[in-house]
Amino acid sequence: MQNANIIPLFVIIPLAAAFLISLIGRYVSLRFTNAISGLACFMLLGFSLYSVYVLQAQGIPALVYKVGGWAIPFGICMVLDGLTAFMLVTVNLVAFFVSIYSLSYMDKYTDRPKFFTLFFLMLTGMNGLIVTGDLFNLFVFLEIASIASYALVAFGTEAEELEASFKYAIMGSVASSFIFIGIAFLYGFTSTLNMADMAQVLNSKPNLWVVPFVTVLFLMGFGLKAAIVPFHAWLPDAHPSAPASISAMLSGVLIKTLGVYAMVRVFFNVLGVSQAVLSMLMFLGALSMLVAVFLAVSQWDLKRLLAYHSISQIGYVILGIGLGTPLGILGGLFHLFNHSVFKSLLFLNSGSIDYAVGTRDLNEMGGLKEKMPLTSSTNLVASMSIAGIPPFNGFFSKLIIIFACLQKGYLGYAVAAVIGSLLTLASFMKVQKYAFLGTLKEKYSQIKEVPLAMQFSMICLAIICILGGLLLLPALKFFLNDAVNVLLEGREYARVVMGLSGR
Amino acid sequence: MIDSLYPLFKVDTLNGFVALAAGLFTVLTVIFSLRFMKGKPGLTRYYTYIIMTAVASAAAVLSNNLILLLACWGFLGLTLYLLILTNNDAGLIAKKTFIIVGGSDALMLLGIGIIYYLSGTVQMDEISIPLTGGSQLLAVVAYVSIAIACFAKAGAMPFHSWIPDCAKLAPVPVVAFLPASLDKLLGIYLLARISLNLFVMSEAMNIFLMLIGAITIIAAVMMALIQHNMKKLLGYHAVSQVGYMVLGIGTGTPIGIAGGLFHMLNNAVYKSCLFLTSGNVEYRTETTELDELGGLSRAMPLTYFACLIASLSISGIPPFNGFVSKWMVYQGLIEQAGSSGFVIRFTAVFCLVAAMFGSGLTLASFMKLIHATYLSRQPDALKARKISEVPWTMWLPCLVLALICIVFGVFANQLPLKYFILPAVEGVSFIGSWYSGLATLLIVIGLILGIFAFRLKGLKPLVRVDSACVGGEELDLAASRVTGTEFYNTIRDLGPLKRIYAKAEAGIFDIYEQGKAAVFSVGKFLQYLHNGILPTYLVWTLLGMILLFFILVR
Repeated sequence: MQNANIIPLFVIIPLAAAFLISLIGRYVSLRFTNAISGLACFMLLGFSLYSVYVLQAQGIPALVYKVGGWAIPFGICMVLDGLTAFMLVTVNLVAFFVSIYSLSYMDKYTDRPKFFTLFFLMLTGMNGLIVTGDLFNLFVFLEIASIASYALVAFGTEAEELEASFKYAIMGSVASSFIFIGIAFLYGFTSTLNMADMAQVLNSKPNLWVVPFVTVLFLMGFGLKAAIVPFHAWLPDAHPSAPASISAMLSGVLIKTLGVYAMVRVFFNVLGVSQAVLSMLMFLGALSMLVAVFLAVSQWDLKRLLAYHSISQIGYVILGIGLGTPLGILGGLFHLFNHSVFKSLLFLNSGSIDYAVGTRDLNEMGGLKEKMPLTSSTNLVASMSIAGIPPFNGFFSKLIIIFACLQKGYLGYAVAAVIGSLLTLASFMKVQKYAFLGTLKEKYSQIKEVPLAMQFSMICLAIICILGGLLLLPALKFFLNDAVNVLLEGREYARVVMGLSGR
Repeated sequence: MIDSLYPLFKVDTLNGFVALAAGLFTVLTVIFSLRFMKGKPGLTRYYTYIIMTAVASAAAVLSNNLILLLACWGFLGLTLYLLILTNNDAGLIAKKTFIIVGGSDALMLLGIGIIYYLSGTVQMDEISIPLTGGSQLLAVVAYVSIAIACFAKAGAMPFHSWIPDCAKLAPVPVVAFLPASLDKLLGIYLLARISLNLFVMSEAMNIFLMLIGAITIIAAVMMALIQHNMKKLLGYHAVSQVGYMVLGIGTGTPIGIAGGLFHMLNNAVYKSCLFLTSGNVEYRTETTELDELGGLSRAMPLTYFACLIASLSISGIPPFNGFVSKWMVYQGLIEQAGSSGFVIRFTAVFCLVAAMFGSGLTLASFMKLIHATYLSRQPDALKARKISEVPWTMWLPCLVLALICIVFGVFANQLPLKYFILPAVEGVSFIGSWYSGLATLLIVIGLILGIFAFRLKGLKPLVRVDSACVGGEELDLAASRVTGTEFYNTIRDLGPLKRIYAKAEAGIFDIYEQGKAAVFSVGKFLQYLHNGILPTYLVWTLLGMILLFFILVR
């Protein structure tokens, strides 16, 4: 079980980076901060890819690390299974490119060490939440990530940012407290906090009201973190207000880790999902998809438009997973991965525009194509991906989700997904038209393409957008399939974890 | 070789000639572009997109797998968008085009999903879904979804509204390549494919298609009549002609379907010829406004010849190809008019009248185009430019296409019908025969006799040129020049038509504008709800949770 020792590194590396940067970052040159940040993110990406490789090469369902050597359920454990590895790759991939991008982008702001400290704390929270096998631990990591993100949203410290951060903090805290209450109920009922153990107890000790009751609490709590309609209202304020690289993290991975991942992990593997819950997930997913996309089309603030699309695309993910069929979950998870790539790219594009032109208002832009060809073409790639135009990655995941809806006979949801897709295309055509096409304004004749570090991140993400569909090839499909299988096995999760931990 | 790619790809009698035609148009477009696009920025990208379009459309046509078809088909929307953007001012119309075309692709995805649900496979040669019976609703939804994608691609109403503006603003070779030829081929090919192979048609669906076709013919040609811009006029005809194809396929009779397919091929030929000649005119005169053109027939004889042949073809004048295919569509309608159901008989008769009427109006609007561009007096502005014929790379594609118009018309039975169309559609039987060879011979003899009779009076025509007087004062002919377009303005001012035209130009019949208005009004309402006040948002959250409790915890 030597390989299990890599699991805590996902928490240790970003945490150590955060402390190093905050302790000595301000006394030494900025280059030190940059080096630490890049190195830490690179290591995290490497380890997360390695974890996928380990699971595949050894052919085992999961790795379990017991913190301090304490046996389950007495100590805290960390679990690395297919879903975990999938999420780790998603999060650390985006984090890596965002950190590279930030090296140049954060020139706009002061106090870079503080920024990277918060960034790595947020990453600690997300990685920890993904690997942990303990429900209370999950809550702690969720709060670490949330609080870091509240601070990051307010990083610009203008009135608008502070207001958004305040709203976000209030609503986020409400959600956290309901999640906390839910955990307390579960603890009261099962007398354990270990997720595997809890699943076993719930299996053997059926109860009529605790599980549905806690399900609702979690649905609201995690749903708010994931910004599902009607719990979404904080997002359109919070995500545009943050620095662009943080918007990319928030929309790209934070809402998925804190919201979608935590929710499906607890629902599928611990509580067990009933048909009623699945139907509710599907309904909320379709509702988010439609409501948000209608709002997005009417926006003129570029980042706000993107933020509404995050809600809408999360709707697709939730709809896919809510179907509960192998195809549906595959589509949902694949869309989760794709969305994190193209949405972070879109936010990075908006950051580049902001960096070069200094505005987020679509009416103020125009003709940027000739001055910023790279931003323009990467933005086109990302727009096509999110709109589901073949052969970009978003097309394949939307195709799977719509097929999965029809496979179960939900024509209405399939139509909703199609309408959402159409309006998504419309709103990104609007972005293309007003930002990049047409004639350049006189006052912008001096603007330049963004620095190299920012270009690098955008190009790499665009390439992933183009090649993302290849993940469906038989040779690479294990990456998604392993994650899907974890959700499909349901409470079997408990047996897998318990079995591996030697009990 | 292609057999080894089965079941992904499959060549049969229906798609083989479509792919061949697509290849031909690619070659001609590239030859034309060599000169026309010379010196414009982004040429590498332009040719890349052209090649990508050609490859993707060949793959889409030959594909035997619906998902592969969908992927290539959707990709074509993107290349169309990028090609239109070769002209930097075309941003707005590129956006509109891609929203309509790409949006309809999303519907196609839905349709394919339903097909997969109903038949359990995406392999096209194994699918046959009846539009009546058990899962009728789903089948109809699937058929209509895919048909809408075809309509949007080919430009049938009500999904046509991107074509006229696109024709006006996009670079000419792009228009001749995509909306005028390849998109038509693809759209009608797929419509034929789903109507012939994938679905078993019902009578109601046939009537639906026929009505779409007839309305498209009439409405678009009426719009074409009042246009003042040559490219926009051609754009409306590009819409109008789709009506004949949809009508032909909608008849559901073998002869009608064969006519629709043949018309698709013919239309692609003469329509891209027409667009290319308009490109020639634009290349030399730098305008396509009919009011500013005139008298180009002497300066550009080859272009004039090609344009004349193509105009006669599109108007359905024998012995050119447009006549043959239209006649086949009419025959299909006549056959339907003899069938038993009252509704379908009535529809067939209505559509027949509409199609013939539309054909007449097409001729009228092409007389306007020919007159205004090539025949009437040359305006002074043009005289100063010393117009001459375009380089050979530009007139050659036009002449090749014009030649195809003649050959496909005169030798219709020997060449295109025999090799391309009739193998694709089984059981075609003609009502009465059209001996195109004999007819051509008679027409040619008539013409020769006419010239002979004309010459009997001497070599010069008996025309007296004199000054025009009104009220004893001499008129300056140049100042009161009658442009070709003015005559047609009377149509616009014709009582009830006036109001309809006004509405059409305001976008009342444009599904894109209407959809936009609807979406924005919903968006406005939702924005009103998102007032930015924290307590409101908290109330939603709590209300949502209470509802969840109510539903999930009993």
